[in-house]
Amino acid sequence: MNRAEPPRSAVIESGQRALLKYLASMALAFLPFVVFVNDAHWLNIIAFTYLMGGLAAAWNIIGGFGGQFSLGHGVFFGIGAYMTAGLVIRYGFSPWLTMLPIAVFAAGVAMLISWPTFRLRGPFFAIATLAFNEVAFVLANHAESLTGGPRGLMIPFKAGFANMIFRERWQYALLMFVFVVAVIGICVLLRRSRLGYYLLAVREDEDAARAAGINVLAVKLKGMALSAFLTSIGGTLFTMYLRYIDPPTIFTLPEVGVKFALLSLIGGIGTIAGPLLGAALIIPFENWLRAEFSNSLPGMSLAILGLLMVLAALFMKRGVVGAIEDAVKRLRRGKGSGS
Amino acid sequence: MSAAMLEVRQVSKQFGGLRAVDNVSLSVRQGEIVSIIGPNGAGKTTLFNLLTGQLAPTEGDVCFFGESINALPPHARAKRGMGRTFQIAKPLIALNALENVMIGAFLHDARLSVARDKAFAVLERVGMAHLAPRRAGDLTLSERRRLEVARALALEPKIVLLDEVMAGLNQAEVGIEIELLKSLHAEGQTFLIIEHNLKVVRAFSDRVVVLDRGRLIAEGTADEILNAPAVIEAYLGGGHMGQGGAAAANTETMA
Amino acid sequence: MENVLTVLVFGILLGGIYGLVSIGLNLIFGVVRIVNFAQGELVMFGMYGSYFAYTWWGVNPYLSVFVVAPLVGLLGVAIQRLVIQPLQHEPNMQIFATFGLLMLFQNVMLAVSRGEAYSVGGPVGASVLEIGDMKLSVVRVVTLAAATLITIGLHLFLARTMTGKSIRAVTQDKRAARAMGINVEKTFLITFGIGAALAGMAGALLTPIYSITPAVGGNFILAAFAVVVLGGLGSVWGAYIGGLIVGVVEAFAGFYIDPVLRSAVWFVIFLIVLIVRPAGLLGQVGAEEVGFREQS
Repeated sequence: MNRAEPPRSAVIESGQRALLKYLASMALAFLPFVVFVNDAHWLNIIAFTYLMGGLAAAWNIIGGFGGQFSLGHGVFFGIGAYMTAGLVIRYGFSPWLTMLPIAVFAAGVAMLISWPTFRLRGPFFAIATLAFNEVAFVLANHAESLTGGPRGLMIPFKAGFANMIFRERWQYALLMFVFVVAVIGICVLLRRSRLGYYLLAVREDEDAARAAGINVLAVKLKGMALSAFLTSIGGTLFTMYLRYIDPPTIFTLPEVGVKFALLSLIGGIGTIAGPLLGAALIIPFENWLRAEFSNSLPGMSLAILGLLMVLAALFMKRGVVGAIEDAVKRLRRGKGSGS
Repeated sequence: MSAAMLEVRQVSKQFGGLRAVDNVSLSVRQGEIVSIIGPNGAGKTTLFNLLTGQLAPTEGDVCFFGESINALPPHARAKRGMGRTFQIAKPLIALNALENVMIGAFLHDARLSVARDKAFAVLERVGMAHLAPRRAGDLTLSERRRLEVARALALEPKIVLLDEVMAGLNQAEVGIEIELLKSLHAEGQTFLIIEHNLKVVRAFSDRVVVLDRGRLIAEGTADEILNAPAVIEAYLGGGHMGQGGAAAANTETMA
Repeated sequence: MENVLTVLVFGILLGGIYGLVSIGLNLIFGVVRIVNFAQGELVMFGMYGSYFAYTWWGVNPYLSVFVVAPLVGLLGVAIQRLVIQPLQHEPNMQIFATFGLLMLFQNVMLAVSRGEAYSVGGPVGASVLEIGDMKLSVVRVVTLAAATLITIGLHLFLARTMTGKSIRAVTQDKRAARAMGINVEKTFLITFGIGAALAGMAGALLTPIYSITPAVGGNFILAAFAVVVLGGLGSVWGAYIGGLIVGVVEAFAGFYIDPVLRSAVWFVIFLIVLIVRPAGLLGQVGAEEVGFREQS
């Protein structure tokens, strides 16, 4: 064979390059925070964007990398939210302390409910996860002693770092930023790990994966557990930010469980940057829609998001990141550089 | 004489009223290439699926290194050293060729750099190192086939099961593939192949096993088998099998 | 004993509603092999259409069926052509697309109706049939009768007409049907149209029973999934019988355990069936097909 072997870095991104890209994009993501650090209104939007970006990235682990479209991540979000709130209200436990054990619990629940449902293929899996979300909603409404039922739970305002309750909005925004930085960092590491590659293989072709020695169910469960773990932490942060949660806030699919998937789809499913990019595009836009229309045309924001979902599924399956990658590829080819 | 690596002991598979595989026994020793041939519907694919773990036998045992593996699922068999390819190639489309092979390479070492280097080595071995960055979805059929072989080789398998790896390839591509398999065989790789292309079978088998209607009707060297009347009967219902490849393959589809 | 009978009858009547709503979903499921998350919204459109016909032109809901059902059917054809067909090889994207439609439809109606709940109850809704000691709501009995008639009608359509037979052929084996010269894409269009029309029909017939809100579709979709899975894909009678079973189970669970846990009932049924007997009671489609592995 006389054909030259391409430099190894051209085939798989080197660890250094990946790290640089990650740091650069996180710095870029931090800019809006810096710019709007004194504007409470914008800080709120930015905080939510960071939070939802992190949650979307967490969903992306099993939905994007693993190809398992769960519509039931609201369950794990709810576990993080409700358990954190419950423990704070009842026992005064600091969310910093309870956050991780609760997330581990959520991961356990995820594996438990996923184990039978991963047997179901594609759409049936999605329906089953959707059903789990509905059941969680019913339970949250029903178990009043634990969850406050339809009235929900309210966390009294007691500022303090240990309580994860802050006076200044910028402190919350910073917290959310740390969250999304952590989640995306984990995604970068995952993508470069054996589990990450195995998730991709399972997504692409389960039979081929098995032929390569991959225990498909085990890989899916691990991916789901990690995804649920991170989603639960997002739920904790959400609760401590709003300090009020009720079943509709947590379990309404288009606002929560499906939203994570939607953001990933718009930004770019299965990519690292996609979920946060999707959040950056959609959350401020949605905010604006709601402000403009909620009096005249209630539900407009969700209607438009629904339309975007349909259009993205039809015309932009790989999201904005995919569209950018395609454009770059076309440019490169146009410039005549050899492949 | 080395003990058999892979042994099929009186294996049968029943689907309702149909006995797709009927009391088949065969063995593959280390370093051998054994080919399974037979007309369409002979049960080759079913037998193959029994070996890879996609199906469980109704009767009999599939033994690997002396141990029955009937209960092992496909991924566990791969871990034990059974590599395989698919009749319809299954590349992982969104990944590039290197990453495809890395999926196999990860079996023995979870480290990215180790898997990457091993995958490069395997790609070089199959003559595809220059295609490493190419998206698997953009590869030609012949390249996809070799990619599958590469992915299987990355497992450091004790035996590789090939399912009609020549199907759909033109003469030149078949030649390349044969050369590759021959050189792998020369290094000691054991193969069990299902093949329709009798030219391939003749070029490169140590032993040939013939299936017809689920039963093993003949076993021997390539020369013995390809001239045996019973085999000719099964394939063509009369006529000769001098030409391998297209001619025989075409007449088979009428069976 | 009396209680048991009342609950049973209530369950059967409820089952009639579920069967009515599910029959369209089952047809689409079985033939086009997609999960139409927006099916509940098609029922909702049927309800609103019927409501507007009633309030603007005084048309009795049971009559407006004849206008509403075809209109919703046309919408179904449009959905299949514009959204589903382009995505036929991408089941994951289908999930997004139909869920997006759900959100779009639900919230457009929300914007249009400003969140007001409508009701067509009145004299139609309140009338009661007395049999012995039991008081049966007339509209529910009519609904059960309609569900039965529609099931029979659909069964005959599939069994006797050319179109129906092509639909059955495609359900069994898409590739073989295509090889026989059946235009599979056209069959999908027709099927989705019929399935949507059935949903619209269900909506119109249910107008006297339910309070009409944009979210009303959500009441049905999960139950409908349970019914379709229980009855088995591609089986018209499966949807009917499945509906009755789900209705009865739900009625008993609601009476003896807790009414709040209805959705839990649907979900448990759904999960148990898929794990124990994926083909459902009367499914035409083999167990390994459930889950829609691409038939190409």
